[in-house]
Amino acid sequence: MHGRLKVRTTEEERERKKKEQALKVKAYKAATTKISAKRQNQEYDDEMLAYTTPILQRNPDVSTLWNIRRECILAKVKKIKEEEVTPEKEAIQEEHILQVFETEMSLTEQCLLVNPKSYNIWHHRMWLLEQSPKANWQREVMLCNKYLKMDERNFHTWDYKRYVVEKAQVPKEEELDFCTEKIKVNFSNYSSWHHRSLLLPALYPYEGDAKPKRPMSEEKLKEELEMVLTAAFTDPYDSSAWFYQRWLLGYSQPELAACAFRCSKDKTVLSFTKLTTKEDLKVVLTGDGGKTLEITDFLTLNNQVSDTIFYSKNPVEDPSMYQNLEVSSKALTSITLPLSKYNDDAYYFHALEASTTYTPDVLDQLKSQLESCESLLEYEPDSKWCLLTSALLMRAIDCQEYHDKTMEYLKKLQKVDSLRENYYKDLASKWILQKALIQWSKTDGEHMLKSIDLSQEEQLTCLTDKQYLIVADEIILSKELTKRYEGGLKSFSNI
Amino acid sequence: MDFASFAKPTNSDANSPTTDDSKTEELHFWKHVEYIENHGKDQDDYEYCMTEFLRMSGIYWGVTALDIMNQLERLDRNSIIEFIKRCQCPTTGGFAPCEGHDPHILYTLSAVQILCIYDALEQIDCEAVVKYVMSLQQHDGSFFGDRWGEVDTRFSFCAVAILTLLKKDLATTIDVEKAVQFVMSCCNQTDGGFGSKPGAESHAGLIYCCVGFLSLTHRLHLLDVDKLGWWLCERQLPSGGLNGRPEKLPDVCYSWWVLASLTIMGRLHWISADKLKQFILSCQDNETGGFADRTGNLPDIFHTLFGIGALSLLGFEGLKAINATLCMPQYVMDRLEIKPQILERP
Ligand SMILES: [Zn+2]
Repeated sequence: MHGRLKVRTTEEERERKKKEQALKVKAYKAATTKISAKRQNQEYDDEMLAYTTPILQRNPDVSTLWNIRRECILAKVKKIKEEEVTPEKEAIQEEHILQVFETEMSLTEQCLLVNPKSYNIWHHRMWLLEQSPKANWQREVMLCNKYLKMDERNFHTWDYKRYVVEKAQVPKEEELDFCTEKIKVNFSNYSSWHHRSLLLPALYPYEGDAKPKRPMSEEKLKEELEMVLTAAFTDPYDSSAWFYQRWLLGYSQPELAACAFRCSKDKTVLSFTKLTTKEDLKVVLTGDGGKTLEITDFLTLNNQVSDTIFYSKNPVEDPSMYQNLEVSSKALTSITLPLSKYNDDAYYFHALEASTTYTPDVLDQLKSQLESCESLLEYEPDSKWCLLTSALLMRAIDCQEYHDKTMEYLKKLQKVDSLRENYYKDLASKWILQKALIQWSKTDGEHMLKSIDLSQEEQLTCLTDKQYLIVADEIILSKELTKRYEGGLKSFSNI
Repeated sequence: MDFASFAKPTNSDANSPTTDDSKTEELHFWKHVEYIENHGKDQDDYEYCMTEFLRMSGIYWGVTALDIMNQLERLDRNSIIEFIKRCQCPTTGGFAPCEGHDPHILYTLSAVQILCIYDALEQIDCEAVVKYVMSLQQHDGSFFGDRWGEVDTRFSFCAVAILTLLKKDLATTIDVEKAVQFVMSCCNQTDGGFGSKPGAESHAGLIYCCVGFLSLTHRLHLLDVDKLGWWLCERQLPSGGLNGRPEKLPDVCYSWWVLASLTIMGRLHWISADKLKQFILSCQDNETGGFADRTGNLPDIFHTLFGIGALSLLGFEGLKAINATLCMPQYVMDRLEIKPQILERP
């Protein structure tokens, strides 16, 4: 159903093709009738194998025929095993069994040559290896290398390769070398980059305490950053290397943590850095002299199973006398957070730190990469990948210092990559809100929760992390944003 | 353009314009209806015979597409239901793609989907289907496609979709926690996407299965939406079409896999809907009806459903709403009171 070009043909050609197809249909129907009859009588023999072969060579998607072949193979092996043998002849018997599997293996290979993207053929081969008394895993590794040479993006081959290299116990270092070779031959090979991304974290695990964790040790990270940028610059329009680059720079969502909390005498809200459920959620206030109070009956604000904001309407007597908040849930190990006072309420607020601190080596690498990207942009000012990567590098180096410039780049990206205009708008909004929240968190505690004013942020077109705002009594937005959320946005005072 | 303005075609197409209108933005509505309606009328048709091994899914594609176009009555409900009944395996409870073939979870889902659309679940042995699905779950939480042991995240989706459509409580039928763990073990750190098994490269079709699985099990909070959403919106190419992996060609079926995933994640707005519509419409065959994978290729029933389905997700006028998670008409979901989880747009 894929890649069949519609060609204009003459009347005669059409007629000829029709006749040809009619013959094929007739042959197909005749074969399937015979197969069905034999199956009804449980005749899983060589004749059955012979009937299914030509159909599968042409159309390997007919799963049932592979099932029939597996029945045949099991029957044949069973029959061989049932023959009485003397101990001397055991080896011959095993040879016979192996022969059954070998013959079938070569059929799958013939089929793969015609149709290397068939789920059925690859699976049949796996099944044979699992059933065979003596699987040659090394040979399978070679087979994969051959098929990856023919098509380096065939994910069936890659999946099969990962399966057989584990069985053959190929060292991960060797696999990494294989990957490097593949990438050197062709940078535009997302499949190789992907395979690489699985090996590196295992070979060079990160042991520092940055959160979210870096994908690999910083020494290796530096090397990889260098390698991938060379690849990306070789063809700046190819996306594969740029995707890998973004992964190296780290753009995972934050780890789950409580980020905002406010408790008044008649309601409590608790926000998390990302979506979570209230499964086993436990919220305890602690104060001087071992005073504790558990707040229960939390609900999600959006009424769904998961949310970033949870609230409870249970009354709390004099919340401001508690000093600490203990939060735990199924997904979150218990943490204790210090509470602050706001009028009669207790609260906690922790804005997301946008920059991560790298070792000087990596930082130098990032800075030199930024320079390279900037100089490429001088020649190609509209290079989408370069603009985006520059913005990401700037954020990785120092998001506060470069804030305005990153905003400028995202604005430009909305034009040069207009298909994804709204993606860049949302990304800009996310970065703006992050910055605004850091600033907000630095305002004097006595006034902080009174209001947060976002009305002057021009490029703020949506609120990506509403959960931070919920602790404010009032959220001041631009006219456009007020309209966009039409009362759907809750602040602490209207929960 | 509303529904009433569509005039039914006359019997003959001989006088229809033959000018090259590949650039027009018009949906050849009645051509598609006819294309689907005629599919399989000639039982000796070569294509039809060669796709016998997926007949049940073929019927699901046709039935769903016609229902989305409000033309379901064009197909014979009774004969379809009778056919489905004949395909249920008396020993396992699963469904074969057609008589003479073996049952498989893929065709079991298709059969259940068709019966839901026809509101005819009582016609089959539903308990046997539940047992079949339960029997395919493995210790690591994954699902076999059938008794021969192929494992794939597609089958995890099929399993929870079947049980949901049969209104079965997932928690008491399968080990949901383990099933979720298995699917999440197929999530890639690089792009937030999913492959068919642990370690497999991300692929839009399998992402749809895994995102759909998480939507049905109400575990969407396990996704890294920003990361995956970005990778998915990067599937859109200058032609407006979507591909399934980086540096691959666009294809109408990916309009569905990518678009449905973005819809479930509340990020449909991250791609250009107008450009995608143009691409999908350019893949119509304006002579025979039906949609091809790409402009200028031969149409088939599979791409016809996913073309129509994607247009419906984009809010195309004259089409019924489609449910992104189950790829079935929304009114059927409402009737069955099935509400897969979806995330809101920020
Ligand atoms: Zn396709």
